[in-house]
Amino acid sequence: MSRLTLTGISKRYADFAAVDNIDLELQSGEFVSLLGPSGCGKTTTLRMIAGFVDPTSGTIEVDGELLSSPKGSIPPDRRQMSMIFQSYAVWPNMTVEQNVAFGLELRKLGKSEIKRRVGEMLEIVHMSHLADRYPSELSGGQQQRVSLARAIVIRPSILLLDEPLSNLDAALREEMRFEIRRLHDEFHITTVYVTHDQAEAMVTSDRIAVMNHGRIEQIDDPRTLYDRPKTRFVAGFIGRTNFIEGDNDGHRISFDGFALPCAAFDGILSSQRKTVFSVRPHSMWLSETQPTTPGICPPVEVLVLERAFLGEHWDYVVKPRAGATTLRVATSPVNDIAVGASAWLQLEPHQMALIG
Amino acid sequence: MYSLRRRDFILGSSTLLMLGISQTAIGQLAAEITPHEKDLYESAKKEGGELTWYTAQSDDITAQALGRSFESLYPSLKVNVLRTTAQVAYQRVTQEIKASAIQCDVFSSTDIGHSVALKARGAFEKFVPDNASKVLDIYKGYDPDGYYFVTSAGLIGIGYNTAKVKEPDAPNNWTNLLDPKWNNNIALGHPGFSGYVGTWALTLRNQYGWEFFEKLAKNNPRVGRSINDTVTMLNAGESSIAGSGPAGTLLQSAQKGNPLALSYPADGTVLIIAPSSIMKGCKHPATARLFMEFLLSARASQIWANHFNESIRPEVSPHEGAISAKDIKVIRPTVEQITRGVPEVIKQWRETFGV
Amino acid sequence: MLVWLILIGLLVFLVLNPILRLIVSSLQQADTGRFTLENYRAAYGNIRHLQALLNSLELGVGVALLASCFAVPLAWAISRTDMPGKPFIRLMVFAAFVTPPYLGAIGWILLAGPNSGWLNKAWLALTGADHGIFNIYSMAGLILVVAVTSFPYTFVFTSSALDLVSSEMEDAANILGSRTLRTTLRVTLPLVTPAIIGGIIISFLEAIALFGAPALIALPARFNVVSTQLWQFFEYPVRIEEAAAYSIPLLAITVLMFWLQRRILGRRGYASVSGKGGERRMIALGPWRWVMFGYALLVCALSVFLPMIVLLQAAFAKAWGRGFSLDNLTLHNFYYLLVEQTQAKQTILNTFVYAGVTAVAAVSLSLAIAYVVSRKLVPWSNVLGFLCIAPFVIPGIVLAIGFYAAYASPPLALYGTATILILGFTTRFLPIAYTSSAAGLRSINPEMEEAVRILGGSRFLAIRRVLIPLLKKSLAGAWILVFIPATRELSSAIFLVGPNTRVISVMLFDLSEEGNFEVLAALGVILLIATIVIAAIGSKLIGRDFMLRRNT
Repeated sequence: MSRLTLTGISKRYADFAAVDNIDLELQSGEFVSLLGPSGCGKTTTLRMIAGFVDPTSGTIEVDGELLSSPKGSIPPDRRQMSMIFQSYAVWPNMTVEQNVAFGLELRKLGKSEIKRRVGEMLEIVHMSHLADRYPSELSGGQQQRVSLARAIVIRPSILLLDEPLSNLDAALREEMRFEIRRLHDEFHITTVYVTHDQAEAMVTSDRIAVMNHGRIEQIDDPRTLYDRPKTRFVAGFIGRTNFIEGDNDGHRISFDGFALPCAAFDGILSSQRKTVFSVRPHSMWLSETQPTTPGICPPVEVLVLERAFLGEHWDYVVKPRAGATTLRVATSPVNDIAVGASAWLQLEPHQMALIG
Repeated sequence: MYSLRRRDFILGSSTLLMLGISQTAIGQLAAEITPHEKDLYESAKKEGGELTWYTAQSDDITAQALGRSFESLYPSLKVNVLRTTAQVAYQRVTQEIKASAIQCDVFSSTDIGHSVALKARGAFEKFVPDNASKVLDIYKGYDPDGYYFVTSAGLIGIGYNTAKVKEPDAPNNWTNLLDPKWNNNIALGHPGFSGYVGTWALTLRNQYGWEFFEKLAKNNPRVGRSINDTVTMLNAGESSIAGSGPAGTLLQSAQKGNPLALSYPADGTVLIIAPSSIMKGCKHPATARLFMEFLLSARASQIWANHFNESIRPEVSPHEGAISAKDIKVIRPTVEQITRGVPEVIKQWRETFGV
Repeated sequence: MLVWLILIGLLVFLVLNPILRLIVSSLQQADTGRFTLENYRAAYGNIRHLQALLNSLELGVGVALLASCFAVPLAWAISRTDMPGKPFIRLMVFAAFVTPPYLGAIGWILLAGPNSGWLNKAWLALTGADHGIFNIYSMAGLILVVAVTSFPYTFVFTSSALDLVSSEMEDAANILGSRTLRTTLRVTLPLVTPAIIGGIIISFLEAIALFGAPALIALPARFNVVSTQLWQFFEYPVRIEEAAAYSIPLLAITVLMFWLQRRILGRRGYASVSGKGGERRMIALGPWRWVMFGYALLVCALSVFLPMIVLLQAAFAKAWGRGFSLDNLTLHNFYYLLVEQTQAKQTILNTFVYAGVTAVAAVSLSLAIAYVVSRKLVPWSNVLGFLCIAPFVIPGIVLAIGFYAAYASPPLALYGTATILILGFTTRFLPIAYTSSAAGLRSINPEMEEAVRILGGSRFLAIRRVLIPLLKKSLAGAWILVFIPATRELSSAIFLVGPNTRVISVMLFDLSEEGNFEVLAALGVILLIATIVIAAIGSKLIGRDFMLRRNT
């Protein structure tokens, strides 16, 4: 368990910056995800932490010890970390047991000690009965468990995971997310987890760093990230959302087709005139009849343009009667409003995130 | 003790018996090691390794027989026999000289021009074998300075396949080869490869001018590489006439039952004299000296004669059925003509025959 | 880092320096080393030399076209139809592949010598005509001989591309009303055209670089090709500089062809073929399948049965011209080679030892280079990959001249040593080894190795414990792919052998001067049997069909 500190880390290839001046600090035992679309620099960042890639500038330290800097880096084999790969990278020429024992052998542990620890580890990942199998005889999920066991059994200072679940099918992926979190809760290894799947990041992580174009856009715990995205990118990347632009005159904010009083926003507004909010489809209420108990904000009369029934909820596309901007709204499955009908939309300023 | 035969092993050994060369005769020959040869043998033994002999003077079978005979005469010495055509052997030797990595110990060409040129380059080691004075007079003294010595000789006549050509119809002088009836049916060697063919072509150029070959080309002969290839072509029935028919190889093959005969042209049979030398800077100089003695010995001549070739020693008489050069009209160019003329002939040949 | 520098040094030594020396000597005066264009004037100032160039082009084009006529229908029939006897035909194509061209040439001399060949004798017996109809000693004869031994290249290219064409492509045409023949001609074959053209280019290049078969056939037929003409430059007086100048166009043509092939293969058609194959069904040919089978048998007869029968007959005959009778049978040719001839035993041993060492050297070096390239361990690593492939565009005989110019003389003085042969062979077959090693390496996810690194293992430990064990099969395959051609390599060996380092191919060439066909055939049979045994053991060890994955 160690503290990991990235300071001003960049990686440039010719005139393209894969990673652009990242600062990141993980407390001992913390689980942080790097989340972002492909090409955002998350994997490069992870590989710099592992030592497979040298940074162009900046430093990486573990517990105050300098591991990487532009002047030179400690090679991956001397970093006391371990890593789980997208392809599992379980060695097909070794049995499950040999795979898991490999790292311990490199640490020159005694035979019996290795056997004991491998046995325990396989027990923990529920693979004891398959110890003598070769990887080609295992399913994808089982191989992933071997890979986890192999990485954790050496008790690394830092555990790195590179999209470990992307090759699994949906059901297995869901199961393994919890498995990874369970193992973290058991061993408390400082962990960096790279993924492009927000659900994975939210299930597993203490904090999530959302990355885009080589930079960290926002780093927060999953709840804050969802409720209070700070940038348009973060809001759009984590969950579905509507962006609405308004004109703030100090008293009211005028949107396209409706307006909301500034007072409802509890002073989160800045002084600038143009404001952009992210509003989740689930944080608005749509009703067929005009609400009788109005909230802080007046309901907006809207026209239903499209709808789709998705089982767990209805998805509506609506537009204010007086405006042109369309909005997506999710409602409970019983809320059945016909296309072309009028409805009333209630916005909740507390659930609206100001992103600019 | 077997004579080495390609096609018929048994027949080969019975040939020896027919000739009345008994085991004791061979034994007597073996006993004839002179003190000088004994000394050479002792120092040769110290050199170790294998003597490398580049030879173009016979077919592979005869060359191998000579090598084996030397080895049985001098136990513990080994000869690596490399039989190629003369120009190929010469090419390899000049390549070696150019690379300053002499691999060849004894060089036996069939083109005496090679010896003249290599001697001039200082590529040979001087050594006068005792046996050099014991050969027939016509083979003596080609190089008064002692760098090369004639170690074999051979005749070139006109060979024919008796199953296809009856004796009266067979060409009996060289100009008969120009008769259109032999169109597509003449086999030749190539002067760019074979030293025998080079000297043969030069001799005929001396006799008839190059027009002879220009006319010969119209008969569309089949051009091989080695002169011995013409015998193979007769045996296979591919050609009826061997325009350059090597007496030794042809008679040897006829002896085995192949339908072959040699016609000795009235205008002269071509005599080839073939020299050998020791390479300067070679790895086995002592063995090479001993081998030079051997090549000039009666024992070696006996092997040549057994394989229907000329003997260069007076003690050894020709094989039954073979005619010795001294009994027929022979023609041959001078050494100077060969030295200058063979390269010219090769060039002219290429222009006339296209290859 | 030092290790990688050594590798680069080796490549420069093996590939770059000989080529540079070749180009430099072509521009040097023989004795003074001064710059001159005289060599080019001498090399091209002769009408016969120019004729030889034209002959080579004619040979190349003829072989490429004839080989396609053999290969493409066979590849289509095997890959896409229900023709009977497919495994057998495949086996025969493999047999044609392992037969050295010069051995095929000897077989065909025995078959189609104008007066004595078996085919001509049969023709005379059947028709009573007074001369035969086949003349192997002609350009047409040479084209046939080279085509029957080089058509497997086009076959492999075409069939591996056809294997990737999904039946859906054909279904799409069928559903629009197209019949089998039309579909094949309009859809299937156009899809694999780039592969066919690739095969054509390879067989063209093979044909113009070949030395053995032309030396056996073109010389008696009284014409020269570039390779036999190059040989003549080595006659006394040895004119390496002229030879170098004369070989430059061969180099240029080859580079041009490769560039062309790259361009063609790089275009769209091929991309749509590669990738997932989709479902594949065999086309039912009905009665036509027997016609197809007959054609396949004809090709096999020309390339394997006929030459093999006469070679075997000659190998066991006292005199091959006497025919197939019991009293003509003998083992003496083998006895002569294995007992009486002093050279043959050593030569056979040399051949297999050199080929084995060459294969080990080429595979190790190419694996190391492929590793450096794929892991980008040094800057400009792609240049290294290119250097490994480069010898492919150098005809063997030209490469040998370069090697001779660079290393035969002091300071290295490698003339006549086994070293220069093995180095020459290693360079010559580096591209084959590199292509298979690089392909093997690509099939292994770098994460396998990174998993070792991050657990605390060094790079070399990762290579030893994970990479090599995983690559075992493809390395063994690469070894055999190098070993087989190395056992029969003639064109580069001919200038590099010394008296104690002869190999079977050179000995065959020397023996062929005398037209000693019985012994030649016996030696050829020994070479073939040994090669087939090794190939058979190899394919058992590493799984079938490795041979047909070549050059992909």
